[in-house]
Amino acid sequence: MKRIRILLLISALSALLVVAGVYFAVNYGSRWIPEPLVQLAREPDLLENAESKKCSECHKLIFEAWKKSRHSRAWVSETYIKNSEDRSKEKCLACHIPEMVRAGVKPDPRLWNRDEGIYCVPCHVFGDAPPGTPPGATPPPACAEVENSPPCKGGRGDSLPVVTPASGTLAMNGPYDLFSPPHPTRQNPDYRKSKFCGSCHQKTLKEWEGTGSEKTCQSCHMPPAEARLTQKFILGLFHAKKPVGDHGFRHGEIGDADLAMEARIAGGAIAVALTNQTIPHLVPTADNGDPRLFLYAVLRDAAGVELEKYKEIIAPQLETALPYRKTAEYKFPLVPSAKRAEIFLQYQPAWSKERSDVRRIQMDL
Amino acid sequence: MKGHYKLALTALLILLAVLPVQSFAKDMVAKEPPKSLDKLYPPVNKEQKWVQQMHKISGHFGGVFVDMGEQDWENAEKHAARFVESYKEAADMVPEWKDYFDHESARKFAEEVKTRDAARIGKAAGPVGKTCGKCHDDQYLSVWTRYHWPSADKIAITDPVDEKELKYGKYMSLLSGAFKGVTVNFGEGQYDRAKKALGGFKKRFMELKSVCSKCHTGDAVKQFYVGEASAQAFDGMEAELNSPKPNPGNFWKHVGTLGYEGCKKCHLTHRAYAIVQEIWEEKEEARK
Repeated sequence: MKRIRILLLISALSALLVVAGVYFAVNYGSRWIPEPLVQLAREPDLLENAESKKCSECHKLIFEAWKKSRHSRAWVSETYIKNSEDRSKEKCLACHIPEMVRAGVKPDPRLWNRDEGIYCVPCHVFGDAPPGTPPGATPPPACAEVENSPPCKGGRGDSLPVVTPASGTLAMNGPYDLFSPPHPTRQNPDYRKSKFCGSCHQKTLKEWEGTGSEKTCQSCHMPPAEARLTQKFILGLFHAKKPVGDHGFRHGEIGDADLAMEARIAGGAIAVALTNQTIPHLVPTADNGDPRLFLYAVLRDAAGVELEKYKEIIAPQLETALPYRKTAEYKFPLVPSAKRAEIFLQYQPAWSKERSDVRRIQMDL
Repeated sequence: MKGHYKLALTALLILLAVLPVQSFAKDMVAKEPPKSLDKLYPPVNKEQKWVQQMHKISGHFGGVFVDMGEQDWENAEKHAARFVESYKEAADMVPEWKDYFDHESARKFAEEVKTRDAARIGKAAGPVGKTCGKCHDDQYLSVWTRYHWPSADKIAITDPVDEKELKYGKYMSLLSGAFKGVTVNFGEGQYDRAKKALGGFKKRFMELKSVCSKCHTGDAVKQFYVGEASAQAFDGMEAELNSPKPNPGNFWKHVGTLGYEGCKKCHLTHRAYAIVQEIWEEKEEARK
């Protein structure tokens, strides 16, 4: 009996040691795992334009957050289809179906798996060639390297010699240096920089750069939460918890502290002041979409009958959006017999006609 | 003297190479482009493959003459051979247009380049250049209208005054009506009415900025059509209408500025293509 207990104890300790060893190797010492063993676990199709469903087999939480995001709707959104003339507008393609997102480089549109819009592969799978290198090819050589080539005299690039296809070694890129058996990973600091998002959100990036704010796109729109990167049963548990960015790409949540609205009577008018206090870009902001804030001032008599309704539209495409830490003032003339005023601000995102209340003020006149 | 003769001949040949793109047709019919072109343009293709192919043909055809002028016969022959290849590729890309292509003339042209005789090369360039010109005459406008100009009719715009969503054509009628509300009342000396109408007209006019962004990615285009000059014209009209005795000379000058900056510049650029599209859309409707 005693022998069995000792054996059980040794087995339990050995199992614990193995688990601890695997945990250590996965999180801190992957270089000690023999390469043939790593290759056995590799799933090469993950680097070959895999669908998000495939990624979700391990990265369940990230997938679920992304599925709810506007990024996942980029190609199938009804508003997008309508506004892009059934997706035929060329200017929209690069960012609604990017082939490969690299920091500071506007992507090319892709031809495969378009329904998934902006999803895992375009943002995370690419080679180690410098940004700007097209997928599957190195940049064309300079004229000096192409001896007696007619195009170097000013001809067209199409007749440049075909170059060796290679955009570097493909890997799953992300902000962490970690080990993942199914696919090679590569740490890339760009994932923590606004420049990465600015590949598509170029105007917003420019606005943000102008503010000098230290908050990045990721810190507000992908706030991190302590979690495991993978949820696959058992194997997922071997990954240590770490801050994981919210792949729901938060948007449009304008808090009380973010946008101040004040109203006063001045010079025979109601003066309404709006101040973007905390958001380090225009509010609303968009490169090509058309999100809007609607500011209304409704004047009523003592019986509550509407006498006048004023409106201002605050939108990036109208060049009236609210800059960071600046106050915009709107004046609405008073009318005789007006006793009360209701001032309210509503937000309409680019992808919907539905509006939500942002602020509301009642005033006795 | 011999050098001058060569230079003049080269210039003439280059001119010949360019000439075919110009139209001499008396009657112009803008037929809709063939369906197979769809696959050579976004969104079906990720690039404008047809434009690239045209550049390829044109680059090699022009390359022959550039190299010929430099007596660089080796490269001239390479360009001639690549011209024949790319000409053939283009014919295969749009089967509906196969009759525009004359492969025998293209082949003869490449053969003549090997003779290194400028006069013979120029003579052989004529027939093949004409095939380019014929296709351009018939199809150039249609292709640009279809693939380079989004349809204005499909633009929806929310009226900033009553918040109804309207098709672009309807919106332009509304804008035109709002404009007349200002000018007709001003002409009649009914300044209060003109002032009230100006508020709505200004909102609707300025909303056009959002229309620019439906196709254009840069903001400069907004400034070109609905920019500072238009804003100043509105300020000037408002100032006149707020004054006890509006000055008609000043007022109409501002109206003229708006008409030139916004209406004329935009119509001059966009209207012709939109008219062709409208005719096609009407035909399409009639077919249904």
